[in-house]
Amino acid sequence: MSNLFAVLSNAASSMQAHQSRTATASHNISNADTPGYSRQMANLEATSPADWLGGSFVGRGVSLLDTTRARDGFVEAQMPRVLGDAAKSSATSMALQGLSSLDPDGGAGLSGGLGTFYSALSQLTQNPSDLGSRQAFVAAALGAALAFNRAHDGVVSARSGIDAQLAAHAGHLTDLTHSMAELNRQVRVELASGGQPNDLLDARQKVQDELVTLTGAAVVPDASGNVSLMLTNGGGALVSGDQAATIGSLPDATNSGHVQLTLTPPGSSAARGLTLTQLGGTVGGQLAARDGALATAESALDTTAFEWANAVNAVHRAGFGLDGVGARDLFSVNALAPGAAGTLAVNAAVVADPRAVAASASSATLPGDGTNLFSLLQTQSLALPGGTNVFDAIAAAIASYGATTGSMRVASERDGAVKDQLDALRQSTSGVSVDEELVSLIQSQRAYEAVMKVVKTTDDMLSALLAMR
Amino acid sequence: MRVTNQMIFNNASRAATAARERFQNATDVASTGQRVVHAEDDPAAAGLIVLERAQATRADALGKAMGAAIDELEAAGSALGSVGDALVRAKELAVQMANATYSATDRLNAAKEVDGLVNTVIGLLNTQVGARYLFGGFKDGSPPFDSTGTYQGDDGVKKVEVAPGMTIDASVRADVAINGVGGGVDVLATLNAFSAALKVNNVAGVQGSFVGLDASLSQVTLARSGTGVQASVLDVAIAATKVRRDDSLKSLSTLQDADAVDAMTRLAQAQQALEATLTAAAKSFQISLLDKL
Repeated sequence: MSNLFAVLSNAASSMQAHQSRTATASHNISNADTPGYSRQMANLEATSPADWLGGSFVGRGVSLLDTTRARDGFVEAQMPRVLGDAAKSSATSMALQGLSSLDPDGGAGLSGGLGTFYSALSQLTQNPSDLGSRQAFVAAALGAALAFNRAHDGVVSARSGIDAQLAAHAGHLTDLTHSMAELNRQVRVELASGGQPNDLLDARQKVQDELVTLTGAAVVPDASGNVSLMLTNGGGALVSGDQAATIGSLPDATNSGHVQLTLTPPGSSAARGLTLTQLGGTVGGQLAARDGALATAESALDTTAFEWANAVNAVHRAGFGLDGVGARDLFSVNALAPGAAGTLAVNAAVVADPRAVAASASSATLPGDGTNLFSLLQTQSLALPGGTNVFDAIAAAIASYGATTGSMRVASERDGAVKDQLDALRQSTSGVSVDEELVSLIQSQRAYEAVMKVVKTTDDMLSALLAMR
Repeated sequence: MRVTNQMIFNNASRAATAARERFQNATDVASTGQRVVHAEDDPAAAGLIVLERAQATRADALGKAMGAAIDELEAAGSALGSVGDALVRAKELAVQMANATYSATDRLNAAKEVDGLVNTVIGLLNTQVGARYLFGGFKDGSPPFDSTGTYQGDDGVKKVEVAPGMTIDASVRADVAINGVGGGVDVLATLNAFSAALKVNNVAGVQGSFVGLDASLSQVTLARSGTGVQASVLDVAIAATKVRRDDSLKSLSTLQDADAVDAMTRLAQAQQALEATLTAAAKSFQISLLDKL
C-alpha cells in the first residue's frame, strides 16, 4: 500500500543509501594513498519488494545492498608467488653486489698483492745478499698475505652481515605471524556475523604480503575465511587459522656457526631448523647468497691461499737463509684449508729477520746465491692441487662470482618487472582514483539532492491535502 | 587500464629511480673511464683483467730485474776494461824492459810500477755495486781478492730471468777470467812473476812474460766482451718484455676501459631520459579533477 507518507519514508531510506555512497567515496579518497588499501564500492539496489498498488508494482526507492572491496582473484592468486620470487632474487642480488673485495681492481686487490709479491721476488734474485731487497720482499709477502686476509674478511663480513639480518628477521616474522593469526580470528568472527570486514581484510592482506615477501610462503585460504601460510618443501605452517608459529634463530654448528632460522609450531616448545629449500622471499634470497655464491667464494679463497702458501713453503723450506738455516716456512698457514685465507701470515721468524728468507740453494753458497728464489718464482705458474696456478684460480673465483652476481642482477630486474606489472594490475583493480571518487561524490550528491526534491514535492502534496477544507 | 592515484605516484617513483640509476651508472663510467669496476659488470672480462694485469706486472718485474743485471754487467765490463788497460801498460813495460839498453835500476823502477798495476787490478776486481762485490761469485759479501791477489770467492754464477721460467748467466766468473781456472792463465800471478823478473833484473824472464801477459790480456778482453754480449742479450730481452707488457696493457685497456665517445653519448642519453622522466612525472601529478571543480 503506497501513500505519500510511504513516499516520504522511502525517500528517507534512499537518502541514507546515497549518504552511504558519499561516505564510501569519502573513505576511498581519504585512503587513496594508504598502502594495502582496497577501493570500496557501495552497491545500491532498488528497494524490494515493491508496493502492490492498483494492480501494479510501485517502486520503493533505493537502498544499500552491501559495501565490497575491489579485488581481482586472478591477480591475487598470482601475487604471493610473484612477491616471493621478486623478493628472493632482489635480496640475493643486493647481498652479492654488496661485496667489493672480489672486484678485479688494481693494486689493492688479490692480483695486485700477488703481483707485487712476485715483483719483489724478481728484484731479490738480482741481489739476494742485500738486506734492503730482502726487507722489501718480506714487505711484499706481508702484502700478499694481507690481500688474502682482506678478500676473505670482505666475504666473511658479507656473510656475517646476512646473519645479523636473519636474526633481526626472526623477531619481526614472529610478530607478523601472530598479527596474521589474530586478524584471521577477527575476520572469521566478522564474517560469521554476516558482515563484510573490508578494512580488516585489507589489514590481513598487508600482513600476508609482508610475510610472503619475507618468506615466500604459500597462501592457503579456507572456506571459513582463514588464510593460512605454509612454508615450501615441508617447512611447516607459519600461520594456520588463528594459530601462529614462532620464528627464532640460532647458530648452526654444521655451517660454521652461521645463523639458522627455526620454526616452533603453535603449542609446541620444540624448535626445528629451517633449510634453504624451505625458505623463499627476502630471507631465502639472503640465505641463498650467504650459503651459495658467498660461501663458494670464501671456499675458493681459502683453498687457493692454502694450496699456494703450501706450494711456496715447500720451495722455501728447500732453501737456506743468510744464517745458513734451512727448512723454514715463508708463510704461516692453517693446517686445513677452511679459514686459511683469513689467517694467512708471513712466518714470524722471517718478519723478525729478513735474513731468514731462503734465497740460497745451499748453505755453502751464501750469501750471494739466489738459486732458490728462481724456484720460488716458478710457483706463480705452478699448477696447484686444484689444477690451476694461483692467478688462474683467483681469476676463476672472481669470474665465477661475477657471473653469479650478474645473473642474479638480471633475475632481480626480471622478477622486479613482473612484480611491478602485477602490482600495477592490482592497483588498477583495487587502487583508488581520486578523479573517479570525486565523480562518484558529485553523483551521489546530485542523487541526494534529487531525493530531497522528492521529499519537498511530497511535502507540498501533503500540505495541499491538509489545506483542503 | 584503470589508472589510480597510487599507480601514478608509484610509476613516477619507479621510473625516476630507474632513470636516476641509469644516469648514475653512465656518470660512473664517464668519470672513471672504466666499464668494468665490479666483477658482475662483465664476468668474463673480470677474470681476464686479473690475468692480464698479472702478465703486465710480471713483465715489468722481469724488465726491472734485467735492468739491474745490465747495470752490474756494465760495471763489471768497465772494471775488466780497466784491468785490460793495466795489462796493456804491463805489456808495454815488458817490451820496453826486455831491451838490453835498460839498467837494473830502470827495471827496479819498472817493477814498482808493475806492483802498482797489480794493486790497481786487485782494487778493480774488488769493485762493488751497492754492497755487493761483483767478482766474488756467490761469496759477494766480502772482497773476492785479498791484498796478495788470492781469490776468496767461489764459482757461483748469478743468473737473471729473461722470460718466465727462463734464465741466463749475468755475471763474470773471476776464477776463470782472472785465475785461469779451466785452462787459462792466472793474470795476477803473471803480473807478479813479471814484477819479480824485473826486480832481479832477469831480462830473459821479462821476455818470457810476453806470452803470459798476452794471454792474460786476451783472457780479460774475452771476459769483458762476454759482459757486453750478456748485456746485449738482456737489452733484446727487455725490448721483448716491453712488447709483452704493452700487449697486456693494451688488452687490459680493451677489457676494462670505456670507449670515451660511447660513454659520453650514453651519459647524454641517460641525462635526457632522466629529465624527460622527471618532467613527465611532474606533469602527471598536476593533472587532477580536484583543480577543475
